[in-house]
Amino acid sequence: MERQNTSSGQLQFSGWEAAQEYHFEHGLTDGLPIVPPTPTKVNAMLDYVGLSGDTVISSEITRKKSFTAEKVAINAVLAGCIPEYFPVVVAAIEAVCDREFNFHASSTSTNGITTMVVVSGPYSDRVEMNSGAVLMGNGNRANATIGRAVNLVKTNFYGSIPQDMDKSTFGHPGKFSFCFAEDLQASAWPSLAEFKGFDSISSTVTIFAANAPLQISIYGDKNPKTFLTATAHGMIGLGPLISEVAVVISPELMAYLDESDWTREQVQEFLFDKTRRPAREWIEWERIDHPESIGDPDQLLGCVSEPERITVVPGGGAAGAFIDIISSWGSSRSVTKEIKVRR
Amino acid sequence: MTNINSDIFTLDPRDENNPGPAMLAPRGSTLDGKVIALFSNNKPHSVELLRMIADVIKERYSIEGIVEHNKGGHQWTAQPEDLIELAKQCHVAIHATAE
Repeated sequence: MERQNTSSGQLQFSGWEAAQEYHFEHGLTDGLPIVPPTPTKVNAMLDYVGLSGDTVISSEITRKKSFTAEKVAINAVLAGCIPEYFPVVVAAIEAVCDREFNFHASSTSTNGITTMVVVSGPYSDRVEMNSGAVLMGNGNRANATIGRAVNLVKTNFYGSIPQDMDKSTFGHPGKFSFCFAEDLQASAWPSLAEFKGFDSISSTVTIFAANAPLQISIYGDKNPKTFLTATAHGMIGLGPLISEVAVVISPELMAYLDESDWTREQVQEFLFDKTRRPAREWIEWERIDHPESIGDPDQLLGCVSEPERITVVPGGGAAGAFIDIISSWGSSRSVTKEIKVRR
Repeated sequence: MTNINSDIFTLDPRDENNPGPAMLAPRGSTLDGKVIALFSNNKPHSVELLRMIADVIKERYSIEGIVEHNKGGHQWTAQPEDLIELAKQCHVAIHATAE
């Protein structure tokens, strides 16, 4: 028996196919085949980050779950991660337990959101993450398996099982995996990690309780006010006073922002101002839960309550004037954690 | 190359310390003489639904009183201090959601 100093229950199978079928039959996959989490592979994950299996990475208060390094590592192996990806998974799991993220409610809601993981800083290059073409799609092992690992921890360990605890009315494809890197070469801006207060050699994950992305095609000129106006129009469709919005801007448009010396803060301010509409308009559009609670119908309500709730991320393929907007769910706030790498 | 037909051992990805489903609190035999909390999650019509339930209860029992509490949003768990305070004021709580 391959014990190797692990504490989780061991399962024995008469070959690879039997292991696959067990995980399918017991709902321990997302519907895709898995990598069997052998003790050897799990220990390789733990060794890479220097954590013992019983180390509690984080604890979630509502379901009283303690995410141990071993359980997270098992699910990372299942997802297809290699050990070099594991520091990113650990940081993401650390982040989901922050109370501001509201993991339990976002794991159960009919709204059907997923945990989106945005990686910023030099570690994304070190593990060859995709910040370019198809960054939110298929084709890159790091993006695909890191995001998948976070989702498998959520279902297998936390218990947010589809159609059981997860009551998403629709869900979206990001429930398989939703992870990408910031394009650090697309602009002169400081990285998102630096913007969040970390130093230039630090790398971070920022997690969002994310709805499906909405792509905005830009048909106007190179003036930032033109293409950000189109973006604001898309954001208005998300509704008033949503918790947060992530805005991913393609390199072509980032170049125009750089040419005009627009900062990240200016983009946040512009989008915030442009989405502000009188309360009566939102009420006419039936976008307010409790219209009786609105005192002044002429008061301006934005898509979000303050510019800081708009996170701007450069990324995407070199060709294409597009912006993706991703709304966050309910009252959930994005959370940023440093990726701790043994140097 | 790994022989895919040989025995393999894997580790269980589930929470093996799962305490199982939460247990219901002990139920009393009557609502007579009880203070009842109506606990809304602020979804549209949840307050109205709770008041309708309270009206039915009042017809059937001689309750001591009603306490209303609204946790302000369905997306958040109730604040622990609010629950403690509510527990001091009532014997029974009814939680409702609605759309």
